[in-house]
Amino acid sequence: MKGTYLGEFEELVLLTVGALYPEAYGVGIMDEIAKETGRSVNISAIHSALRRLDEKGFVKSEMGGSTNERGGRRKRIFELTAFGKKALDEVQEQRMSLYNRIPNISFSS
Amino acid sequence: MKEQQSIRPPRWVFRFLTFFCKEEFLEEISGDLEEIYHVNYRAHGKRSANWRYAWNVLRFFKWSNIKKTTRFNSNIVTMTRNNFKIAARVLWRQKVNTLLNVTGISIGIACFLLISLYVKQEISFDQFHEKGDRIYRTWTLEDYGGDQQFFYTNSPLPLEKALEDHIPDIEMAVQYNRNNFLVGEDNARINETIAIASPEFFEMFSFPIVNGNQKNPLADRTSIVISEAYATKYFGNKTPIGEPISVLMNGENRIFNVSAIMQDLPKNTGFSFDMMISNANDELLYEKRALQAWFHVSPETFVLVKENSTLKAVEEKLPAMIKTVLGDRMEEGEYTLGLQPLTDIHLNPDFPLGNMPVGNPKYVYVLGAIGLLVLLIACINYTTLSMGQSMKRAKEVGVRKVVGAQKSGLVWQYLSESVLITFIAMVIGLVVAYLLLPLFNNLANTNLVMPFDFESLWVYLVMALGIGLATGAYPALVLSSLKLTNVLRGGQSSMGGKNVLRKSLLVFQLLLTVFLISSTLIMKKQLNYIQNEDLGFNREAMVSVALYPDPEGQGLGDNFTSGFKNGQLLKTKLEANPDVSDVAMGSHIFGSNGWMKVGFNDNNDAFKQFNLLVVDPYYISSFEIQMKEGRDFDPALDLDKRESIILNQAAVDYFGLTEPIGKKIPGEGFGNHTIIGVTEDFNFESLHSEVRPLVITQNDQTIFSGINDISINDSPTPKLVFKYNGTSLLEVKSILDQAWASTFPNEELRFDFIDEKLRLMYQDEARVNKIVGIATVLSILIASIGLLGLTILIVNTKVKEIGIRKILGASPVKIFAMLFSDFSWQLMIAIVLSVPLTWYLMSNWLKDFAYQINIGVDMFLLSGILAFALTTLVISYHAIRAAKSNPVKALRTE
Repeated sequence: MKGTYLGEFEELVLLTVGALYPEAYGVGIMDEIAKETGRSVNISAIHSALRRLDEKGFVKSEMGGSTNERGGRRKRIFELTAFGKKALDEVQEQRMSLYNRIPNISFSS
Repeated sequence: MKEQQSIRPPRWVFRFLTFFCKEEFLEEISGDLEEIYHVNYRAHGKRSANWRYAWNVLRFFKWSNIKKTTRFNSNIVTMTRNNFKIAARVLWRQKVNTLLNVTGISIGIACFLLISLYVKQEISFDQFHEKGDRIYRTWTLEDYGGDQQFFYTNSPLPLEKALEDHIPDIEMAVQYNRNNFLVGEDNARINETIAIASPEFFEMFSFPIVNGNQKNPLADRTSIVISEAYATKYFGNKTPIGEPISVLMNGENRIFNVSAIMQDLPKNTGFSFDMMISNANDELLYEKRALQAWFHVSPETFVLVKENSTLKAVEEKLPAMIKTVLGDRMEEGEYTLGLQPLTDIHLNPDFPLGNMPVGNPKYVYVLGAIGLLVLLIACINYTTLSMGQSMKRAKEVGVRKVVGAQKSGLVWQYLSESVLITFIAMVIGLVVAYLLLPLFNNLANTNLVMPFDFESLWVYLVMALGIGLATGAYPALVLSSLKLTNVLRGGQSSMGGKNVLRKSLLVFQLLLTVFLISSTLIMKKQLNYIQNEDLGFNREAMVSVALYPDPEGQGLGDNFTSGFKNGQLLKTKLEANPDVSDVAMGSHIFGSNGWMKVGFNDNNDAFKQFNLLVVDPYYISSFEIQMKEGRDFDPALDLDKRESIILNQAAVDYFGLTEPIGKKIPGEGFGNHTIIGVTEDFNFESLHSEVRPLVITQNDQTIFSGINDISINDSPTPKLVFKYNGTSLLEVKSILDQAWASTFPNEELRFDFIDEKLRLMYQDEARVNKIVGIATVLSILIASIGLLGLTILIVNTKVKEIGIRKILGASPVKIFAMLFSDFSWQLMIAIVLSVPLTWYLMSNWLKDFAYQINIGVDMFLLSGILAFALTTLVISYHAIRAAKSNPVKALRTE
């Protein structure tokens, strides 16, 4: 199973990639994370995380359209792979099953 | 569109990105960055966006993004990496050996670094001035034939202007002088040293002004420049610019206004001041006559030679200038003026001392050499150890050669090992040196700081590489040139010849260590000798207190009378204390050089000089100075106060007097006087010089009327001395504080213990001794490590031999002796060879002292025994273990 472990930040990036489909790319992901969680993340950290996710096979990418703001350079557009989706599902499932076992009594008052 | 194109991230940062970034990632990264740049540009402006862009680019500068260029990706890189990998594994495998090597070299490096810091500070004195290569200090030589030569680096007051007026090659001339003043208001006055300099001082010398008037900080008479430290001392957190400072000058309080704050002076400059005022104040400080006199000297004068001119051009014009300004007052050749480079001052003892301190260049070279020696010992250590080790590795070399290794490849392989070791040692050495620096400063009485700038980092790197290559070169060559067939056949005969070199290296290393041991011992003995030598007077528990003359008094005579009068008040108070006895007063006390020296022409018109001491009648008995003939001053006799004088034996000999009692000093012009006694010679100056002729009097005027020359380098203001008979030295301060506060509430109390002051006279020597001592201890440590390594090695190679010997009946003692004899021979040779070297160098050092110890055989015996004891100690453990081991274990396996 080594290599498929999903770190906290990686998971966040992976989720964002899924959420932004079909327009997920570096700066977009960074802005989205900042908007959703209030975390200001450096762009290089996003790139590193994306590359790791790519190596693990959770995402795939191709070069997409260019805009003027980027000095005419193309974006690398990321999207979830089936494997990546499955990994997210698993993580979610584990969470939920643990979450559901929290006894109600402790917070009932 | 137009706007979009004009917004561009900084070109050079972008270029850096393209330089390092992998092609495949470049487009997306640069695109993303530019997008962010645009956002920032609108939100924060150009400057901020540029900074953020640069920061982001820097964040991308990580391993995964960096281009792996094909240019360097050659065999060399791969092999180097492989070499270091193998080296690391080999070193890890031989843990003990590596530990010994690294420890040895890092100690050597640490010691070298510490000493080089000291040497660097000494040789960098005043090397930092921007115009330094054009700045010179003037010196003067007055020569009237015979004994009458006066050589000084101070200069007359009108010289500055004369130089500027008469010599067009000089851009500017600057006076620099130091004087003590009482600073502050009435009841909080502090005695401070204030520098008095020409207004252009800060233009000529590179001492940065941090605050206030940068252009012309000494613009007028009332300007005062203070250092950052003094700004805090006097004004705390207030802004000091423009604040008044009150200085007592010639009995009048004068107000100065702070015009500028300068950076605290660096440690490596001969200038020393925290406050500076303009020399426009000279008019207040000197009489009119002195301001114009060419034979009254006090400040140092510096000149800045014009950029398009030369020293020679200036020097050629000096005689003509002297002729113009002095006219007929001087004969040809009697008055010579010259120039000495500023950078030369600190380490040139051939010129007399001015305001700038002069160090002994010999000590700097000696210490530098010792630092190198210790490093050398450490290097030799490594070389001998790895050569010994090479026997073990012969098979490895054979196998590598069979597989096809080239000789050069093998050399690099072994060099990587030594380079790796020295790099590790360098890092450890740096840390050790850094940690030991406070201790070193404390012991050697220095205040050094370790630089950690980019430049020194390079030096450290190059040094590590150099040491690595130098120490590893020989073993690497030897190993790589082993004959393949010899090695694999198992014969080690080819190593026989190399042992000679290994042994001589060991001898050399031991020789250096023994040399250092004996030198430290000899220096220590000499220092003990001069510090405990019977100086001819009692110095135990004697305390001296600086008195105050009447600030409005004129001339030396008033200085003595009013000082003694003030002292009398204090004396009465002090004598009431049962722990205080033998109170006396005098113009000079022991522990400072430069007592007043006067000159006169004797009856045969020969120029004679002697030191003059003005005292009260108790001085001689208080210090327990022995009388040789005649009697001491009698306090009850008025005659003694007026005209009795006492000579020391040296003065009697110098004046050529026989049966001196009742006679006079052989000169005209002196007032009524009679010699009533002769003292034994006592060393009133440092033991670097012989006892000079001394005349002791209670009435300065009888002597002053007959002299034609006077020079004083120690303050002639009277001091009071007393003997403290109590037990707690701390109490001295409270006794004095009480007596002082009720007598002179407005003045600052300054007192010293005389034996402490005497010790300070040999500060330079003591420091060198300490540093050499530290180096010696370290070198002993290194040598012991080396010996230990060698013992382990030899015991290991002789395991079988020892086993067989034991089976044939050799006793453990015999075997120990066998192992020991090898080393002891080398040690003997080293000790014998070290004797002439030590003797030669140490007698040279001792020549600096007028009173010196003999370098006896005992010194060498002692260091020899020490060395032997150490060697035995170091090698015993392993040798004994080998001698006692069970031979079966050694022989069972083949």
